[in-house]
Amino acid sequence: MNPLVIENVVKQYGDKTAVNGIGLEVAEGEIYGLLGANGAGKTTTMRMVLGLIAPDEGSIRYFGKPYSQEQLSMLGYLPEERGMYPKIRVSDQIIYLAQLRGMARKDADDNLKKWLKRFDIPEYYNKKVEELSKGNQQKIQFIAAIIHRPKILILDEAFSGLDPVNVELLKSTVKELRDEGASILFSTHRMEHVEELCRNITIMHRSNPVLQGSIKSIKSKFPLERVVLAADKSIEGLASIPGVTEVQRHEHEGYELKVQSPDVAQRVLSHALSQGTIRKFELMEPTLNEIFIRTVGERHE
Amino acid sequence: MNSMWTVMSFTMKNKLRNRAFVITTIVLALLMVVAANVPTFLDKFASGGGPKKIGYAVGEQADIISGLEAYFAGQEEPKAQLVPIEASGTPDEQTAALKQAITDKKIRGYLTFTENEEAGFPNVTYYSKKMLDSGTAEALGTGLREVKTEQAVKEANLTQAQLSKLFDPVQLESVQISDNANGKTAEEQGTAIGLTYVVLILLFMSTMITGQLIATEITAEKSSRVMEIIVTSVSPLKQLFGKVLGTFLVGLLQLVVIVGAAVINLALPQNQASLQSLGIRLDSIEPNMIIFAIVFYLIGFFLYAMLFAAVGSIVSKTEDLGQAVMPITLITLAGFYIAIFSMTHPDSSLVTVCSFIPFFSPFIMFMRIGLANPAWWEVVLSIGILAASVLLLGWLSAKIYRTGVLMYGKRPSVKELIKAMKAYKV
Repeated sequence: MNPLVIENVVKQYGDKTAVNGIGLEVAEGEIYGLLGANGAGKTTTMRMVLGLIAPDEGSIRYFGKPYSQEQLSMLGYLPEERGMYPKIRVSDQIIYLAQLRGMARKDADDNLKKWLKRFDIPEYYNKKVEELSKGNQQKIQFIAAIIHRPKILILDEAFSGLDPVNVELLKSTVKELRDEGASILFSTHRMEHVEELCRNITIMHRSNPVLQGSIKSIKSKFPLERVVLAADKSIEGLASIPGVTEVQRHEHEGYELKVQSPDVAQRVLSHALSQGTIRKFELMEPTLNEIFIRTVGERHE
Repeated sequence: MNSMWTVMSFTMKNKLRNRAFVITTIVLALLMVVAANVPTFLDKFASGGGPKKIGYAVGEQADIISGLEAYFAGQEEPKAQLVPIEASGTPDEQTAALKQAITDKKIRGYLTFTENEEAGFPNVTYYSKKMLDSGTAEALGTGLREVKTEQAVKEANLTQAQLSKLFDPVQLESVQISDNANGKTAEEQGTAIGLTYVVLILLFMSTMITGQLIATEITAEKSSRVMEIIVTSVSPLKQLFGKVLGTFLVGLLQLVVIVGAAVINLALPQNQASLQSLGIRLDSIEPNMIIFAIVFYLIGFFLYAMLFAAVGSIVSKTEDLGQAVMPITLITLAGFYIAIFSMTHPDSSLVTVCSFIPFFSPFIMFMRIGLANPAWWEVVLSIGILAASVLLLGWLSAKIYRTGVLMYGKRPSVKELIKAMKAYKV
């Protein structure tokens, strides 16, 4: 039995449908990507998982049980809109939040110290949140979401607004939590993070889940149509080859082409070879970014 | 239950650690100490440190002078003391000598006498450098009247019995009519009016201050977005009541400190007299007045606190809060002012009607209990209506709160709120 099972959940606000029949399962030790444009229904879905809003239809089960107050202590939530008490010391508010989740004070304190050390900011224990930089506030917020070792963790835009070093730090922490067996529902607009972290994803568009499954199977549904080409000299006439739909020239002596079929790619290669030495040629599957844009973009009427 | 205590103690701890809050409380308590002692201070300063030295020419009107001296000697804190000045010769020379004594700082003023055959008592003139020296003049006048009466009595040769008949004061006592066996005496009435005033002001202040505090905190949690984490950690109902209770206890503590400072200082022996002069005696406060004060304070507080919490939860930004709580402020003000301005006629029909309207009754029913004489069923009914509306409002506020905390952006209208409530299934 999977820790988090969402079945055919529908939510309507008045006559507007916010979520229309979404269903997904998050296994133990899995990060599940929930993707979608702004306003697609991700936040509503997450709020339903958190028990803030009751679904109109369908069910959400936590370790096989329906939502109740008992579930609160096993849920962890990092909201998209970050916020802490600005005037209260880090230790006070983290321990408070942990206590609300049912942790003992002493336990919470030990855990907080451990995490602060892990994030290399032990000196912030007694600081007020308003004195910290934005990135460090984010780390504190992250600690607040995971301090009670939740079994089900909901991360909404976990890495937004962080510098690359801190993104790596938090990413490795998320992976660690996954390896310890947490089920993580993960939402982001950064597709490279999804490709790196998630096994399965759901792309939502206008309240509907439009694309669902493992990243591998989703990618295999899309044809190989991206060609990366690098040569010593510039290559002329690529755009005039039949079947080539798009040519982009990159700054550092490289081209990225869109082709209609793998056959066209071969023709591109021979065309390029006739003009000089080729350093790199690759026929690639589309990135998740492209898949996302195509899935969500194409459906714009 | 456990998490409600967590919310409560967190709320209390933060308030008590808040420097502004602590300083305000200390300043208010100090103000109370000063205010409680002001009447005594004024008395001390007014008496100007001992009796005023008043001169007279030696040998003039010896009878009156000795009578006056005896009168001032019989007083605990005489306002004046008579000083003989050697002055003889013509009236002009006497005056010059007396004036010289003032310049020499021997005396502060002097008396002169001119015979008045008709009255049988000389006309007395009091000369003083100070303007508006009415205190001393009054004391002198009283003293002289006494002397004159004594002289007249002596001449008439009255017996002791006749004397006491003449001088015994008239007994006039006003007693409030009441259903109880004993009505309130004037003293008890004065105390009741004073107590009603104090309780009305305290109730008004603490509902306003504490209510604002609750609303501000909820809105601040919402605008800093901590709310999203809190509502996913603890049920909104526990959160709401934990917050209200926590703020209530802190507010109560503040009130106890401030009122305590005032009561302790008023109870000091030197202040008792000035209180009594206002017709207030602390020991004549009826115990059931205090019980009613506490009951109405508690219920009134929670009624308003719930309302403030609900309003705080639907506002997203602290800047918008002032406008949103305006209606509550107006209701509180209305209740308070109706009570204060009706204290002179506490049995008007406006007061009777308003003492059953939930938002007004904490103020007005208490005022009626203190000053008029409502039937017991009226009191019970009023408290019953109040308690019922606290429950109803608590339930409604919890619903609004549950919905409001998740609604961001512009303040929702009632229609939008109801729609959201349906959508959230609360």
